[in-house]
Amino acid sequence: MSYARTNLKGVMFYDSVKAYNGVTLFTPMEGRDVWLINMMGKLVNHWRTPYQPGCDATLLPNGNLLYAGKVAGGPLSGLEGAGGVLLELDWDGNMVWEYKDPYLHHTFDRTQNGTTLILKWVKVPDNIAGRVKGGDPGTEIDGVMWGDTIQEIATDGKLVWEWIAHEHLEPNLHLRCPVCPRSTWIHANAVSEMPDGNILVSFAKSDVIAIIEKRTGDIKWQWGPGELAHQHCPTVLDNGNILVFDNGMHPSGFAWGFSRVIEVNPKTNEIVWEYGGGGEECLDFYSSTLASCQRLPNGNTLICEGTTGRVFEVTPASELVWEFANNLPLYEPPPNQTRSHMVCSAYRYGMDYSGLKRAVPISIERQSAPGTLSETEEQAVRARLGALGY
Amino acid sequence: MGVRRRSEQCVTLYNPSKAYNGYTIIWVEMSKDAWLIDMRGYIVHRWRMPGSPGLHGRLLRDGNLVSSVLVKTKRELGLSGQFSGLGGLLVEVDWEGNTLWEHKAPYQEHDFYRMDNGNTLYISWDPEGHVPPDIAAKIKGGMPGTDHKGVMWGDVVREVNPAGEEVWKWLAYEHLDPEIDILCPLSNRGLYPCINSVFGMPDGDVLISMRHTDTVGIIDKATGDVKWRWGPGEIGHQHDASLLDNGNVLLFDNGCQRRGYGPTYSRVVEVNPATGKIEWEYKSNPPTDFYTATMGGCERLPNGNTLITESMKGRVFEVTPEGEMVWEYVVPFYHWFEFPHQYHGEWINALFRAHRYAPDYAGLQGRDLDPKKFDWVNRVYGPDAFRKEVV
Repeated sequence: MSYARTNLKGVMFYDSVKAYNGVTLFTPMEGRDVWLINMMGKLVNHWRTPYQPGCDATLLPNGNLLYAGKVAGGPLSGLEGAGGVLLELDWDGNMVWEYKDPYLHHTFDRTQNGTTLILKWVKVPDNIAGRVKGGDPGTEIDGVMWGDTIQEIATDGKLVWEWIAHEHLEPNLHLRCPVCPRSTWIHANAVSEMPDGNILVSFAKSDVIAIIEKRTGDIKWQWGPGELAHQHCPTVLDNGNILVFDNGMHPSGFAWGFSRVIEVNPKTNEIVWEYGGGGEECLDFYSSTLASCQRLPNGNTLICEGTTGRVFEVTPASELVWEFANNLPLYEPPPNQTRSHMVCSAYRYGMDYSGLKRAVPISIERQSAPGTLSETEEQAVRARLGALGY
Repeated sequence: MGVRRRSEQCVTLYNPSKAYNGYTIIWVEMSKDAWLIDMRGYIVHRWRMPGSPGLHGRLLRDGNLVSSVLVKTKRELGLSGQFSGLGGLLVEVDWEGNTLWEHKAPYQEHDFYRMDNGNTLYISWDPEGHVPPDIAAKIKGGMPGTDHKGVMWGDVVREVNPAGEEVWKWLAYEHLDPEIDILCPLSNRGLYPCINSVFGMPDGDVLISMRHTDTVGIIDKATGDVKWRWGPGEIGHQHDASLLDNGNVLLFDNGCQRRGYGPTYSRVVEVNPATGKIEWEYKSNPPTDFYTATMGGCERLPNGNTLITESMKGRVFEVTPEGEMVWEYVVPFYHWFEFPHQYHGEWINALFRAHRYAPDYAGLQGRDLDPKKFDWVNRVYGPDAFRKEVV
């Protein structure tokens, strides 16, 4: 996306008939805030946290925000996706739960029984790292290659279940990408619990999405090499298919710079739906890193093009029905600082979502044109941030 | 509909006190019209060309436009999607678009350079440049099994005189070193090394950009040796290497398949060939706001500014040495383009390279540059159609 001189910001397009009505939660990379807006771009709620994103936030069914934050100065803070803390904040921003580990990264999932699935970096033992092919030679961190462990922790922080990648994966079948650094091995960047209790994961550097059988630790299904290129955010749909954001970074062959969102049937390994990737509007859709995608109850798909800060909703026919650009600045950063429009993730919640019970009544004003934050709202936000000492 | 189409279009920014005043050639991919616009974005001239660009045109001091145009498509020539930038005909037209000179070269691609002596350098995929199997086997990198129908094609750089006679030829495989000129590991092995720019230096040597080895190089005209190389580990699939008056090389670093794992971005880099050090670079803030995976142009202007073409986004802009943007133009018209690898099409406003010429440039003397002649198109694509105060 080209950011030519523009007054693009906020909601730029809204088809109120075809779009899925609700509120959208999004987390900009710049700053320490999470925002909840309605379909017209009006602010519904806002959470201010002590940490920059590291690198996701969701609204839980109980109305609390679960936020992955980045602890400054962590041991691996230079790595993409570095985190270090999970925070649960109530609707008013009060902290109700916190979990810290310097090796936390990327994202999390709150399970059906109240535990939390998390990702942590762990050292890959030298004898295993030595068998890992691929990657840019000599780019380990002080000679160490970092792998992943998936952990399930209880509210009191106790470990309930663990799956250490290098105990289950063939070293020489992962980190295929020849230009990626060997600082991390598989670079897991997503974890979620499936309805049957199994675990869906994404290994970005090996271009693999996989289902881990919880009981045995075996990989029941994996897919991706030759199709995916450093993907993000796989989720399982009601029909059993997997939706995933294929970033298209480091593709093999001629690189045009396309991303796509695809739905793959794990029983047949066939792609049954696709948005982007060389089709219509393909030049307009590319996120090298960061992204999320979400299938909505009306069949539409919400897509977060992370690196450009653009969130949009399309119908199954790839028709655009809602579009939002994080080209705000919501505040003035210090001068000479590198700006960022990036958005870690964006999720839509319907008006009947249990997590919105505590929300103030949300009025959906049907104005003649999509609006941005109004003058008074923006002033209120700035005042609020100013009072917080930003 | 993507954000690109809702970006402001035509000239969106113009700082007359800092920008380099003049006229800019805008020639969109797949279009047979090369337009000349003024600094406010008004169209002041049109050349109706014999074909769409393969891939750009330059205004000569005598007022003619020299360019290459597309004749047959890739599919018609039996080439696969990894071959990008096809032209096929070098052509020189006068101000009215009449053809004064042409040179047929069915595999001509990417770039050409009209030298002061009237000769023309150009790049092509002529079959005589096919890499012999024993040499191809030694070339490292690229993905195994991705030759083009079992053959590794190679680039040829040729120089022809006005009579169309070949006066110099350089076959890439004869002079590149398989130990040094290594293909990007993600690249196809159907084309080596994918030369996408050629620039005739004042001392007679030839400066080239080799996309798939991430290398810019200088060819010694007399011997054919590559006497200077720079790039691997620093740049990713670059374009448009040119020599500046100060002896430095300016190039467009696309950043495509750049080593590392982080958000991709493009930049323009000025490197000192004597030291190998980058002495100037331009990146956007944030860097991810400026990225084109392929194509790309950069031109140093006489006032020290740099004119940059973010090709795939249809955006041309000018920055000062301090990196301040002082002019920006987003192409408001689109043409249908088929992406060969999937045979999908899209309306694009992409352009390979824009060029700027001052009002006192020899090639513009005595020309009628009154935009009123083009009211009919300025009404739709000129600045008044977009009604924004840009000055």
